[in-house]
Amino acid sequence: MGIGLKVRRLALLAGMAACAFGLSAAQAAEKHKIFLSMSFIGNDWQAEAANMVKAMASHKSLADKVDLQVQVAGPNAQRQIQQINAMVQAGAEAIVIFPISPTALNQVVKNACDKGVKVFAYDAEITEPCAYNVHIDQLEAGRVTAEWLAKKLNGKGNIIAITGVPGTSVDDQRTKAAKEVFAKYPDIKIVGEAVGMWSQAVARTELSKILATRNWDDINGLWMQVGCFTANSMQLEAGKKTSELLPCAGEGSNGGRVQMLPEGTEVEGAASPYAPLGAPRISYASPPYSGALALKLAVEAIEGKDVPKTTILPLPVVTNETIKLCDEGTWAEMKAGCNAFKPSLVSNPGWFASIFSDQTPEIGLAAALVGQPEE
Amino acid sequence: MSSAALSSPVSSSVGLRRALVRNRGALIAAAVLAILLFIVDWVSAGPLTYFDVSFLSSGGATSALAAIGQTIVILAGGFDLSAGAVISLVNVVLASSMDPMAPGASIILWTAVGIGVGMAVGAFNGFFIAVLRMQPIVVTLSTMFILQGVTLLVMDKPGGFVSPDLGTFYLGDAITGWLPMPLVVIGIVLLAWFWLKGTRFGTALYAVGSDADSAAAVGIDVVLVRFAVYVIAGGCYGLAGVFISAQTGSGDPLVGNPLLLSMFAAVVVGGTRLGGGQGGPVGTVFGAYILMIVVNILLVLNVSAYYSTIAEGTILVLAALAGSISHTSVLAVQLRAARARLAAWRAGILPSQLERVDRRLKIARPSHDRRSQASPRPAFHLRNAETLRYALPAYVCLIIIVVVTQIWLGRTILNPGYWNSLLVLSSFLAVLALGQGTVILTGGLDLSVPWTIGISGIVLAGMVNGSDAALVYALPTVLLIACAIGFANGFGIVYLGISPIVMTLATNGILQGCALLYSQGTPAGFSSPMLRWFMTARLGLVTPIVLLMVVFVVAAVLLLGRTPFGRRVYGIGNGLRAARLSGIGVERALILVYMLSAVCAALVGIMLTGFSGQASLGMGDDYLLPSIAVVVVGGALITGGRGHYLGMLGGVLLLTALQMLLAGTTLPYATRAILYGLVVLGAVMALRERRLQ
Repeated sequence: MGIGLKVRRLALLAGMAACAFGLSAAQAAEKHKIFLSMSFIGNDWQAEAANMVKAMASHKSLADKVDLQVQVAGPNAQRQIQQINAMVQAGAEAIVIFPISPTALNQVVKNACDKGVKVFAYDAEITEPCAYNVHIDQLEAGRVTAEWLAKKLNGKGNIIAITGVPGTSVDDQRTKAAKEVFAKYPDIKIVGEAVGMWSQAVARTELSKILATRNWDDINGLWMQVGCFTANSMQLEAGKKTSELLPCAGEGSNGGRVQMLPEGTEVEGAASPYAPLGAPRISYASPPYSGALALKLAVEAIEGKDVPKTTILPLPVVTNETIKLCDEGTWAEMKAGCNAFKPSLVSNPGWFASIFSDQTPEIGLAAALVGQPEE
Repeated sequence: MSSAALSSPVSSSVGLRRALVRNRGALIAAAVLAILLFIVDWVSAGPLTYFDVSFLSSGGATSALAAIGQTIVILAGGFDLSAGAVISLVNVVLASSMDPMAPGASIILWTAVGIGVGMAVGAFNGFFIAVLRMQPIVVTLSTMFILQGVTLLVMDKPGGFVSPDLGTFYLGDAITGWLPMPLVVIGIVLLAWFWLKGTRFGTALYAVGSDADSAAAVGIDVVLVRFAVYVIAGGCYGLAGVFISAQTGSGDPLVGNPLLLSMFAAVVVGGTRLGGGQGGPVGTVFGAYILMIVVNILLVLNVSAYYSTIAEGTILVLAALAGSISHTSVLAVQLRAARARLAAWRAGILPSQLERVDRRLKIARPSHDRRSQASPRPAFHLRNAETLRYALPAYVCLIIIVVVTQIWLGRTILNPGYWNSLLVLSSFLAVLALGQGTVILTGGLDLSVPWTIGISGIVLAGMVNGSDAALVYALPTVLLIACAIGFANGFGIVYLGISPIVMTLATNGILQGCALLYSQGTPAGFSSPMLRWFMTARLGLVTPIVLLMVVFVVAAVLLLGRTPFGRRVYGIGNGLRAARLSGIGVERALILVYMLSAVCAALVGIMLTGFSGQASLGMGDDYLLPSIAVVVVGGALITGGRGHYLGMLGGVLLLTALQMLLAGTTLPYATRAILYGLVVLGAVMALRERRLQ
C-alpha cells in the first residue's frame, strides 16, 4: 500500500471519528504510530522534554490520533542507530528524535525517510537533508549572551567562561560565537575557562578549582552555558553581598530565574540561595518544549500538511528587565509574559523554565512537571 | 570432572564432551542469543526476515569487532580502557581526511588506515605495559585521556565526510538476500583468530593469561606476547572504527566513548573470564549481539523508558548466570555446601554446635625475650619499604605539581585558600578511594559507584528538603540503602558466582532505573543548611569537611592496617584459595567489602548534595574512572593484594591538584586532556614492576 493512500485513509478515518461517535476500538488501531527516541534520560532537561512530549501526545487534540512509544538510547549513538532501525521495522509513521550526534544518524535516518517515515529531530540537529529539525539558533545564543555581558561590563574586565560538553556541535557553536564577540573587545579577557558539561554540579567543581588560585575580586563577569545559579550561591558563601553579585550570562534554570527577581520579592517556598537576589543576569536556554512541538509538527506532516524542514525556535531570553513570576504557570499566564516559577511549585532549582511557546497552547507547567496537558 | 567421566572408557564422546566443556561459555551465549532472537520474532508483528537479520548484524558489528579485541587482551590477562577512544579517533581521522570531491574511495586503503591507527595506539599501550611492565589499567586509562584530546584536536565537533562507498561495502550483502557483509567481516576476523590460536603464539597467549610467571619459566617471551596482544587488539578497535565510520558516513569525536563499558559486558556474557586464560572471541561476538538485541526486545515489548536500564541490568545478570550453570559453578558449589551444612546441623556436628574447648595445636612458643634479642625490630623505612616504594611516587609528583602551579599561576603554596580547596575537592575521591580501593585489594572492581552516588544524593535531597531536623532520619536511611546495595553486589558475586564487573555493572543500571523512577526524571528537594555549611562554609581557614577528612583518613588507615577485617582483605587479594584454607570466612568478608564500597559511595552522594546544594541525575558519572585511577596511581595492584590507603590518598591529592592546575590555565580542553593523560602515565612510571631476578 502506498504511503499517500494510507495517509489519506487515516485522515478520512480521523475525520469520521471526529464527526461521528468518538473513538471505537477499530479506529484506535488506526492511530498514527509515532516513536520517541530520547538520548540520555539521566538529565533534568531530557526528562522535562520527555514529559512535555507525553503531555502533547495525551492532549485532547492529539490523543485520538497518536500512539506514542518512548525509548531511551542512553548516550550511545550506535544504540540510537539500532533503535531507529527497530522503530522503522516496527511500523513507525514518524520518529521524533533527540539526536545524540548530528552526523552519525544520517544513514539510518535516510533509510527511514526512504521508507516513508517522517523523522523529526528536536533541540539538536540531524544534518541529513530529509530530516525535519526543530531547534534554536545556537550561534545566536552564544552571541546574544556574550553581547549582553560585554555591554554590562562596559567592554572591560576579566571573565570566566564555563562551556558545555566538548565535541558537540551545540557547545562548539555557542562557545565560538561568544568568543567572536569577546574578541571585539580588547579589554575583555577570559582569565579562566573550564568544561561545565551542562551541569550545575560540575560547574561548581570547576569554579572551585579556578578560584583556588584566584579571587572573586579579580573577576568581573561570568559567561556560562550552565552554572549561574551555582556561581551566585558561591559568591554568597564567599561573603559577597547580594548587591555585589557579578553579572552572569547563562542558563534558563528556574533557580537562576528566581535569583533574578528583585531582592525582597515575596515568593512562596523560597530559601536562599533559591530565592530572589536581584542577581544581574541574562538567562537563555534551549527550550524543552521543542520535542513536543516536533511531535505536533510530525502529526501535521503525516496528515499531509506542509511542514518546513527546519523550524528555528525564537531564542528565549530573559533579563532583569523582563523577569516576571508566574502564579500557577498555565499557558495563558505565560503568554501574558511570566517566565519564572515559585519554588513551592518547582522544587528543583535546576529545572528549565523556558517552557513557553506561542505554538504549543496544549502544554504548560503541569506538562513539564508531570506530563499533564492543559485543559 | 565427575568420576563417571573418568571411569568411562576413552571414546570419541569424551573428546566431544571435553570440547563442549571447554567452549561452554560460547555455546551458552549462542543459545541465549538464539532464545532472544526467537523472542523478538515471536513478539514482533511480522516474521523475522532477511532484512531484519541484516539490520541486526550491522547494529551489533561495531561492538562485536571491538569486543573481539578486548577479549584477546583479557585472555592474555590484560585490560584495555582505551578501546572506545580508539574507535572515536579512527572515526574522526577517516572523516577528516577523506575528500568529498573524490569520485570513489579505496576500501582497502581506508580500512588499512583505520587498522593502522588502531595498531599504532596498541603499540603505544603495549610498549608501556609489556616493555616497561606498567599496569594495563593505568596505561590504557591515560591513553584514553590522551586519545580523547587528540581526537578533539583532529575534529572539535561532529562533521566531516566518509565516502558512501565504504558504507555500501560494509553494510551491503556478501551474497544478496543470504549473507550480510557485517557477518562476513566478523567471520573473517574470527577465522584469523582461529588461525592465530593454532599457532605457538596462540598457545603462548593463553599461557601468559593463565600464569605469566609459569609462562616465562617455560621459555615464553612474555614481553613479546603482551606487546603483540595490544597491537592486535588495537587493530580490532581500528576495524570497529572503520565500520562505524562506514555506518554513519561522517565523523563524531564522541562516538566511541560510550561503547567501553558495554564492551566488557559483552566479553563476560560471552563466557570469557576476566583475569585471563579462559574463553575466546566467539562467545564475545554472541555476547555483543545479545546486548544489542535487548534494544529491540525493549522496543517491541514497549518497556517504559524508566525501566529500560533495569531490564538491561537484569538481562545482564541472567545471561551471566546462564553462562555459569554447571556442576562446578559457584552457585552449585554454594548450594551443595548449604546442603552439607544443613545435614551437619541435623546431625549436630556443626562446629558452632560442638562444645567450646580449645582445639588449637599445642606448639611450644619461643619465649618473647629471646626473639627480640635475636632480631631487633627493624627500622621504620625497612619495615615499610614496600609501602613506601609504591606510595611515595604519588606524593613526589604532587609536590612537583604544586610547585608548577605556584610558578605558572602564582598564589598557591602560601595561600591557605588553595590548600583548603585542594582538600575539599579531594574529599570526594578520598572517600571513594577507600571503598573502591578495598574492593580492588580483594581483586574485584565496583562499577556501581556512579549510581550509588546518584541515588543516595537524590534520596537524601528528597527526604531532607532543606530541613536540618530531617537529616536525623535521612542520613541513616540513605546509609541503610547503601548497605543493601552493597549486600546485593556482594551476594551476587559470592553466592551466585557472577564476576564483579558484570554484577556491579548490572547493579549500576538497575540503580539508574530506580533513581529515575524515584525522582520521576527530575530530582526534587535540596540540601539542608547544615549539610551545606559542612561542605562550603569556613571555620577560620578550613571548611568543616576537611576536619572530618582527617578523622576519616585515620580511620581508613586503621581499618585496613590494624583490624582483622583489613588482614582478611589483603589475604583474599593475595590468594582466594589460600585465604579460604587458612580459615578466613571469605564469603562474609567479601560481602562486607562491597558494603563498605557502597557506603563510601553513599557518603560521597551525601557530600556532593551538600556541596552543590542539590542532587542531580548523573551526579556520580564523573567519579567512576577517577576512583579506579587514584587507587592504582596510589600504588595498588589492580589484581589485588597490594596497596596502602595512604598511597591512594596521595593519588587523590595528585590528580585533584593536577586538575586544579589545568583548570587555572586557559589551555583548550583537548590539550588539558592530553596533559592529564601524560602526567598520570608519568606518575605511574615509577611504580612499574621490577624484572624478576
